[in-house]
Amino acid sequence: VSLLRQLASKKHFAFFKGKLNIGVDIIQHGVEGLVYLLTESSKLMISEVDFQDSIHVLGFSDELNKSLLQLYLDNRKEIRSILGELAPKLPSYHSLEWRLDVQLASRSLRQQIKPAVTMKLHLKQDEDQTAQVLQTDPATLLHLIQQLEQALGEMKMNHCRRIVRNMK
Amino acid sequence: VLDDPDLKDIDPTVLKHCHAAAAMCILEAGKHKADVSAISTCLEDCKLDKERIEQFCTEYQVFKPELVTVVSFSIGRSPLHITDVSWRLEYQIKNNQLHKTYQPSYLVTLNVENSGSGSHPDVSFSCTMEQLQDLVGKLKDAAKSLERATQM
Repeated sequence: VSLLRQLASKKHFAFFKGKLNIGVDIIQHGVEGLVYLLTESSKLMISEVDFQDSIHVLGFSDELNKSLLQLYLDNRKEIRSILGELAPKLPSYHSLEWRLDVQLASRSLRQQIKPAVTMKLHLKQDEDQTAQVLQTDPATLLHLIQQLEQALGEMKMNHCRRIVRNMK
Repeated sequence: VLDDPDLKDIDPTVLKHCHAAAAMCILEAGKHKADVSAISTCLEDCKLDKERIEQFCTEYQVFKPELVTVVSFSIGRSPLHITDVSWRLEYQIKNNQLHKTYQPSYLVTLNVENSGSGSHPDVSFSCTMEQLQDLVGKLKDAAKSLERATQM
């Protein structure tokens, strides 16, 4: 988004004004129109044919249409990845560190043997990374593994495969 | 204790002291996992009569396992304890910024308990299939070394 804004900055307009000998307003509108065309096309991921049909109504020359199409195809991926960053998101998994502990005693109980797994879960949200220290006992650990393996297995099930295939 | 009809004739302050003393005694016994002989020796030193000591010890024997569990798990500080996990698999089709995204993702919630100060908000995060595989791999490593440790 910042890149697009940069493109639209007046500084550039002034530069082009000198080169092309047309008003700053016209250049600004031109750039804005171009930006809108590219972002909307990338957002909707329209096919080449659809793109060509859409710009045909504008009545530009064939050569201009061809360069516009090329511009669209060249930048589509990058624009889509930038737009992807703007979507609402939850903190996402980054990594996990773990360690085995055995508690031998505490203030309230002496002579224990209590195994525990201590973990540091690293999560990332936008640019910030957070780390959360968590603990669990061996039985819960095995339960967690079983549940999450089930979750992974779901993607391979027929139901999910069918939906993914049909939604492309 | 204060509402018990059998005890209403006793001064509440004394009752509170007795209750506190009894609780302290029981917790200390639990802390050291004391057996009956140790407790009765201790109570004898406090000049309690035989009958009362026997009654106390019998009750103690009955509740000892429960007491040890309480003392071991409920009291004391520890990092947030994971009790359960929920997951959700979703397939994103579009959002208001981008159409035709077609991206599967997992939403994992770790149910967490904080021993003592009540509940704590659960830890939720999203991840791709590869990231979930990484997470499960690491958890399995932890489980494997746990198994090895128990075999030593």
